[in-house]
Amino acid sequence: MRRRILQGIWGLIWVLPFLLLLVLSIGRQWPFPALLPRQWSLAYWADVFARGGNLNESLLFSLVLSLSIAAIATGLGYVTSRQIAYHPKKERWLLLAYFPYAMAPVILAACLQHYFLVLGWSGKWSGVWLAQLCITYPFAVIFFSGFWNQRMQSMEHLVTTLGGTYWQAFRKVLLPMSSSALLVCFFQTFLISWFEYGLTSLIGVGKVQTLPVKVFQYVQEANIFLAALAGCLLFLPPLILWWMNKRWLFRQG
Amino acid sequence: MKKPLRLLSWAVFLVLAALPLLAGWGYAGAYSLGMTGLLHKGVTLAHWQAVWSDAAFWKSMGFSVYVALTAISLATFFALLSVVAWQRDFRRGWLSYAVYLPLTVPAMVVGFFTFNLLSKGGLLSRISYRLGFTDSLVAFPDWVNDPFGIGIIVAHTWMAVPFFMLLFYNLFQSEGLVSLGQVARSLGAGSGQVVRKVFVPVLLRKASPILVLYGLFVMGSYEIPLLLGTQSPQMISVLAIRKLQRFNLMDVPQAYAVSVFFVVLVVGVLVLVSGRGKRWRLKSKDGVLNQKMAS
Amino acid sequence: MRTSFFLLFTIFFACAPTSNPTQPDPGTLPWEELVQQARGSTVQLMMWQGDPLINAYMQEYVVPAIAEQYGITLKIAGGQGNIIVQQVMAELQAGKETSELDLLWINGETFYQLRQIDGLYGPWTGALPNGQYIDWKNPFIAVDFQQPVEGYECPWGNVQLALIYNSAEVPDPPRDREALAAFVRAHPGRFTWDVHFTGLTFLKSLLIDIAGGADMLSGPFDEAKYQRYSAQLWAYIREIRPGLWKEGKTFPEAVAPMHQLFANGELWFTMSNNDSEVDNKVRQGIFPETTSAYVWDGGTIQNSHYLGIPRISANKAGAMVVANFMISPEAQYRKQDPAVWGDGTVLDKGRLTEEWQQRFRELPPRKYAPSREEMQLHALPELAPEYMIRLAEDFRKKILEDNS
Repeated sequence: MRRRILQGIWGLIWVLPFLLLLVLSIGRQWPFPALLPRQWSLAYWADVFARGGNLNESLLFSLVLSLSIAAIATGLGYVTSRQIAYHPKKERWLLLAYFPYAMAPVILAACLQHYFLVLGWSGKWSGVWLAQLCITYPFAVIFFSGFWNQRMQSMEHLVTTLGGTYWQAFRKVLLPMSSSALLVCFFQTFLISWFEYGLTSLIGVGKVQTLPVKVFQYVQEANIFLAALAGCLLFLPPLILWWMNKRWLFRQG
Repeated sequence: MKKPLRLLSWAVFLVLAALPLLAGWGYAGAYSLGMTGLLHKGVTLAHWQAVWSDAAFWKSMGFSVYVALTAISLATFFALLSVVAWQRDFRRGWLSYAVYLPLTVPAMVVGFFTFNLLSKGGLLSRISYRLGFTDSLVAFPDWVNDPFGIGIIVAHTWMAVPFFMLLFYNLFQSEGLVSLGQVARSLGAGSGQVVRKVFVPVLLRKASPILVLYGLFVMGSYEIPLLLGTQSPQMISVLAIRKLQRFNLMDVPQAYAVSVFFVVLVVGVLVLVSGRGKRWRLKSKDGVLNQKMAS
Repeated sequence: MRTSFFLLFTIFFACAPTSNPTQPDPGTLPWEELVQQARGSTVQLMMWQGDPLINAYMQEYVVPAIAEQYGITLKIAGGQGNIIVQQVMAELQAGKETSELDLLWINGETFYQLRQIDGLYGPWTGALPNGQYIDWKNPFIAVDFQQPVEGYECPWGNVQLALIYNSAEVPDPPRDREALAAFVRAHPGRFTWDVHFTGLTFLKSLLIDIAGGADMLSGPFDEAKYQRYSAQLWAYIREIRPGLWKEGKTFPEAVAPMHQLFANGELWFTMSNNDSEVDNKVRQGIFPETTSAYVWDGGTIQNSHYLGIPRISANKAGAMVVANFMISPEAQYRKQDPAVWGDGTVLDKGRLTEEWQQRFRELPPRKYAPSREEMQLHALPELAPEYMIRLAEDFRKKILEDNS
């Protein structure tokens, strides 16, 4: 029983903010000390779907962008991190992958902006796509670097000793063993790309209108109800994706 | 593995991970030294001197380290506690859903609702007023925009705990900790001992690269301290962006100097940590051996 | 590693800014030809997009009207002043020959910075037919931050700093410095200002008040005067500091978080560089209906916001056609409607036809802010840009970083 209560409180800590966002997104006027907004209105939600104009378009574009980024970054990271993980100077190489996290994204964006402009990739979908790959791919490399351990290596050896080819070892042993890690990494890189704002808006010059580029402006403005709505729009799609994949994120058994 | 694939792997890694970042960093370095930029006046150390002699910059560094260490320690503690205590419940039940929700929220939104929960006019203050704990809005403690960074730390901890839980839970499975625990118990260890001597060390050791990475992410974070921090000290990214985008264009090189310095510092930390990582790896070989014996 | 550094520096120096190829200056073309040239083109506008009302005005009125009347596709990208400056600067640094942007929504601060890096095209406003309705001699239009506009930007709207308060909590708001000092002593924690543009405009108003009027500080930056009056300003702020929000140990990051604090009741005051914002915010259900705006006796700064064209814009003709539309009586009239946006017009009503004058007169009045005419009596001109830069730096050094 005590465990149940504790878990209840624990869960509430993570659910409460979402409830707050949902409630505020349909509210108006929330002065102290009212617990709930004084008025209710679905107007902003209606706007999103009615006159939100190309918000649906942005949503679709963002999904395509983030899903493809996640797929490529995870795939590339999975294959290439193996080389790095088995390199004797592994740590030194991995340092390079830590780089994007050593700089705040906005500053990193300011530095990369120059090269993207010089190369003529600024203000284009392809440029944004590449820029996002530059920050998701290192994450995937770091993510998998711990995965390629002694055990994996001995598995591989076992297959090849028993007469299997490398490709067989990869397909029949490594891949099945990594499916859950691959999914977690896919989800993580998807999220990095999905929430990416600073780099996308600078490299995309505000023209490449992903969903965050469209709605983040509202989060920073005075209208907390609209900010809450923007928050909902941002967390709902990954939430649905996560829901669909949940069983994969946790290893069964 | 075949040679072309190996070469290709390295090529991809260098082009996608190493080159853009080194290039970006080099640009920032050149800018901070007055070698480029629209308003540059030739090579100079003046911008670096301006940064180094600024007490606010050193306060910012210290404050960023403090926030990152505190948030990561708290998050590690809570995540370890709940995973070790409730690891069976993560597989099913509503808890397993609820706790992973935060992975789907961007930092700016976290900052937004942390503010609306913890500020003097926020939800908690209203609840406390309704329950009679505080008699007015002003009586509620300063939890956001406060000198100790409470709001920033809470927001980052909130974001990190579920991520760490997912990490620890997966490690729990992949490292075969359940059976390892059984072995320890059959050898006469008590539950407390199993947790302290087996579970926690293994999880921490295995998770350490990710924990360090996350710590860097917190140190370099921008949106959350922007919304929940104070004007002084500011976290390092907030300070850098202020110099980059505010009123005086002559401050722009200083912004790049701050960034370059920050990267140097972080890479230094990583070198230290990765040196220790080698020792950890040796130890974890024993772990693998133990595991094999257990199975 | 060494190779990549080498590569880096090659890229880097190979791309040093090169001179712009000579393009025909669209400003010299006859207007009809220019309109013809712009037909079928795309104009990329970058502007702040944080307000749903403003976005709706642009998306639902300006964009379709321009497509219909001129066959121009107007695309809008989001970005505040500092992002605009960073973008234009980065393009010039990279030696680009054409900009990604054609039209920019800028305020005085951005104008100053863009002029500093020679990022703006001009002069071009003389070519706009609708320019005939603008009084180019009006100091609130012709001078931006004490810098002559000289045809490098086209005024789009006119606003004045207003203080905003909750009349349910504050029946009689302070109207000068002494009254404010007394007020914050009696009601600590309810008043503050932000460290960004709006708060600095407030500080500038205080500085002018201390100096004894706008005439004392007009013209180019005067170091001696700045030293004398700013010292008094910091002394005044230190005096009232304990009564400010969070005991003056920190200040809101920007005006938006300050509005949030006001909306949830933590603050009793906020302020806005846009005197019509209060109507807009009450209408959207953000501010309580007891909100009211006013101007100090010492006056507040009035200024215009403008449209500029990047020097390397690829479609200057299109940008000029769009700007001309945006200062047309029709577009300006709609924009001033409090239900649409409430932004003050830059047109000199005396130059409009009687019909348009009539329509402007019949616009519904603002409910929560004093009339423009009333506020105009307390309007102060902008100071030279150095004042703001110095105030920002010294406010940080002498107040923010001095936490004792």
